[in-house]
Amino acid sequence: MAVSIIDLCVNCFACEPVCPSNAISEQKPHFMVDPKKCTECEGDFPVFQCASICPIEGAILDSFGTAINPPGSLTGIPPEKMAEAMAELQSH
Amino acid sequence: MQLPVLNDTPSPAEHGAKGGCSASSCGTTENQMDTLPDSIREKVQNHPCYSEDAHHYFARMHVAVAPACNIQCHYCNRKYDCANESRPGVVSELLTPDQAVKKTMAVAATIPQMTVLGIAGPGDPLANPERTFETFRRLSEEAPDIKLCVSTNGLALPDAVEELSKHNIDHVTITINTVDPEIGAKIYPWIFWKNKRIKGVKGAKILIEQQQKGLEMLIAKGILVKVNSVMIPGVNDEHLAEVSRVVKSKGAFLHNVMPLIAEAEHGTFYGVMGQRGPTPDELQDLQDSCSGDMNMMRHCRQCRADAVGLLGEDRGDEFTLDKIEEMDIDYQAAMEKRKVIHQAIQEEMDSKRLEKAAKAEQHKQEPKLTTRPVLMAVATSGQGVINVHFGHAKEFLIYEASPEGVRFISHRKADQYCGGDSTCGDGESVLQLTIRALAGCEVVLCSKVGYEPWEMLEAAGIAPNGEHAMEPIGEAVMAVYKEMAAAGKLDAIPEALRANA
Repeated sequence: MAVSIIDLCVNCFACEPVCPSNAISEQKPHFMVDPKKCTECEGDFPVFQCASICPIEGAILDSFGTAINPPGSLTGIPPEKMAEAMAELQSH
Repeated sequence: MQLPVLNDTPSPAEHGAKGGCSASSCGTTENQMDTLPDSIREKVQNHPCYSEDAHHYFARMHVAVAPACNIQCHYCNRKYDCANESRPGVVSELLTPDQAVKKTMAVAATIPQMTVLGIAGPGDPLANPERTFETFRRLSEEAPDIKLCVSTNGLALPDAVEELSKHNIDHVTITINTVDPEIGAKIYPWIFWKNKRIKGVKGAKILIEQQQKGLEMLIAKGILVKVNSVMIPGVNDEHLAEVSRVVKSKGAFLHNVMPLIAEAEHGTFYGVMGQRGPTPDELQDLQDSCSGDMNMMRHCRQCRADAVGLLGEDRGDEFTLDKIEEMDIDYQAAMEKRKVIHQAIQEEMDSKRLEKAAKAEQHKQEPKLTTRPVLMAVATSGQGVINVHFGHAKEFLIYEASPEGVRFISHRKADQYCGGDSTCGDGESVLQLTIRALAGCEVVLCSKVGYEPWEMLEAAGIAPNGEHAMEPIGEAVMAVYKEMAAAGKLDAIPEALRANA
């Protein structure tokens, strides 16, 4: 039972100090969760602390490998709108 | 305690129609800082970000030690890092406090006119209290001649005021885009507060309360507060005059209304959703309408969170980590040198201020013109004189000349926000982009202009002028204005309009 940080992480440090179990550390190429230490905040908080401050959609996964903050949930940008804008940029 | 604010006793001219003279800094004489109480003026006279006058002489730098943020703003994308980008929140390399201290001292020794060190991100400095305060603590001990500044979104500010007051920090900038939670919800999708992500109006309400509380606490401690606001057309543009009134009444000494920067390629909510930024005219109108209430700042360059140099220039490349590692800095010796240079600059500024005042007095004695105001663009690299070749200008300062005198309006970037491929976007050349950036200006003053741009400028209705090279900006702008008036190029303002001015 542990969350994980994947390579979408931008190394902003926000999650590291809010982890109640000191399970997160700065690593290369990005921050990592120690699965042995991670408690999924159980007993401390009702919500994942790291995923509650993380600004990047999809960067933190739950123990099933599902994004805790799915596309569009933090920025408010509908995923299809984002895809459109990116396709537009790549066509240049 | 309420600090005295500029324009507390508005002069009749301040209620003038737009395009006339509506700011306290009108006339070729009055610098916005001249009307400040001595105690504040002393603190800001060598601060390039707070004093329009000082920004021609003194340099600043930001160190990127604060990556984490506790809120999301719709104009920010936390993923972005681009060397060609120049806007807030963008950095190339994150520094540890130790690296930041080394870099600051290396810059201060190499660029002695650097007077100010700011921490502005790329996240929120106060959401990284350990890294931010470690940097401040060490710099106030090791480099006491450097002014320290911090900017914040305000969420964690009330808890930080005590600590801020312990260091050499006498200026804090709070970004306040609204005092209305409904509007706030359209700017801030969420905040992280008390171990929870709080979205929408509820989150915005907490943020606004914290900002206002932090502002009041700083004023009570005697720390100068500047307020930044991002002007977002259709979202908070009509509301910012109210923000200006509120923050002034609480004691903020300067309000900086900045234009939204939003491009789809930045990947921000506003960029992707097609929210536009204000036009230069819209920005100027808003700044003018706020200025009756409060001293406005118009020379802000919205710089990167790791910018180094005079406003409008970035010498960050000279001070990368590997380069500062090789520098051997004797800071005691550097401080001696800095002191001498700062004194010389101060003397130069003081004498120029006297000269300006004398010129303005002379201007007052002359018969008053009744001509319309004119916008002119100026190419300068500092020292308050026209000293840059048109083709080399990365930015232009925009001045308005009118019968009331000359006032600074804004700066405009020559090539907008991208310094990369000169033909990116819709295939316009840099020259075309530059000319488009000068829309609304009738004259461009620079040290020289080449043949090709000369023709293109004339075709665009902008008169190129290289006759005032190395002259003080205010005097040159007024001289050109008078020539235009004498040549009958400026229609008189109709009597009806003048009556309202």
